[in-house]
Amino acid sequence: MRCAWKELLAILPIWCRSEVDELGQDTLQELRLRMGLPPELVRSNGTIRLKRSVSAEDLNYVVNTASRYSPWSAASAAQGYITAPGGHRIGLCGQAVVQQGDMTGMRQVTSLCIRIARDFDGIARKIQYGSGSILIIGSPGSGKTTLLRDLIRQRSGAGNGSIAVVDERGELFPPGFPSGNRTDILGGCGKAQGIEMLVRTMGPATIAVDEITSEHDCEALIKAGWCGVNLLATAHAASKEDLYARPVYRPLVKSHLFDTLIVLQSDKSWKAERMEL
Amino acid sequence: MSLKLIGAVLIIAGCGGVGFSMAAAHRREENALRQLIGALDYMGCELQYHLTPLPELCRCAAAESGGCISRVLLNLSSELESQIAPDAASCMNAAIAKTPKLPTRARKNLTLLGSSLGRFDLQGQLKGLEGARQQCRRELEELSTDRDVRLRSYQTLGLCAGSALAILFL
Repeated sequence: MRCAWKELLAILPIWCRSEVDELGQDTLQELRLRMGLPPELVRSNGTIRLKRSVSAEDLNYVVNTASRYSPWSAASAAQGYITAPGGHRIGLCGQAVVQQGDMTGMRQVTSLCIRIARDFDGIARKIQYGSGSILIIGSPGSGKTTLLRDLIRQRSGAGNGSIAVVDERGELFPPGFPSGNRTDILGGCGKAQGIEMLVRTMGPATIAVDEITSEHDCEALIKAGWCGVNLLATAHAASKEDLYARPVYRPLVKSHLFDTLIVLQSDKSWKAERMEL
Repeated sequence: MSLKLIGAVLIIAGCGGVGFSMAAAHRREENALRQLIGALDYMGCELQYHLTPLPELCRCAAAESGGCISRVLLNLSSELESQIAPDAASCMNAAIAKTPKLPTRARKNLTLLGSSLGRFDLQGQLKGLEGARQQCRRELEELSTDRDVRLRSYQTLGLCAGSALAILFL
């Protein structure tokens, strides 16, 4: 198991670093900081709270250190999240600033959810039907990104052509997480735009993207699939029925481009099955 | 008599020195503001096209500018890298405190710049930089108005005051 633990501790308020280090090193999944309340450590073996309460200054500190005092540099800050060094995703909540219908930033951050990025080498080896195009679904926190990361690495090492990744949030392969010998990573770019660009310029055998959320992403994936590229993707859906019922994913399901569907459970186990034609 | 003469020369030289140092301080203020405007121009361009994170941005801007502003920006960069202060404004205050002999106007404008750094959206950040740049330009314009006359006045006043004192004492 690989985790950028030092990078995580470095972005936390100084007063809680040692406690978090002691209580969560191997088991921490999420760290929730809410203004006026003690930090909540969500671990694989239960949740605990520290004693001291979080202040507005602590929240500012985390946002600033995670973005290297440059929230605008992470274009995603205006969408409510920042990817911290080490690939840890920080969700932001508070008073949003909206201009002409678009959220442009946060006036006051009142809650943070830090999701710890962990890398488990070799977990994707157990996947049945591991070739062709694969769609991974699961509810938030079920391990979609972790599984996709290893799947990319396994496939990259297998030598079936190059694999191109659109890593919009910089979460899939932060520095220190190996990506394989034949992996090309396009970071910081929107998925739809990135997929199109990669198909045109990199000639990949497989394209991988994390968290398809919009119709544009689906359209881009379908276009790439029609070009003969294998696809690896993750999507938010608790079950196969959920996936089929969601209008945004309907074109993707109907396209029959995916050979295998992997459904992740909240206990991190999964079930692989062939997609119905 | 020779002692009186030496005293008179010393008084004139001392007062003249004050006048000349006031003129030099004026020039330093101007130079610092010019350097700051240069650094802000660079930061604006770099942000617009590369979204460079603040620590690197300050390092690069320090390399582009010179003198005391370069030292402040380098100090700011290392403050940001050390991740001790909660926000960019506190880092700027610490960087200013670490830089001795900073002209007053430059200090004030750097503090203003510090409070505008670390905005959430790029447009807001660019507007913050532009605000600081305009303020610097206004102050530089103020300083440059009748610059030569003013500098000559400081020097002449110093010398004249020294002469007057020497005459009075003699």
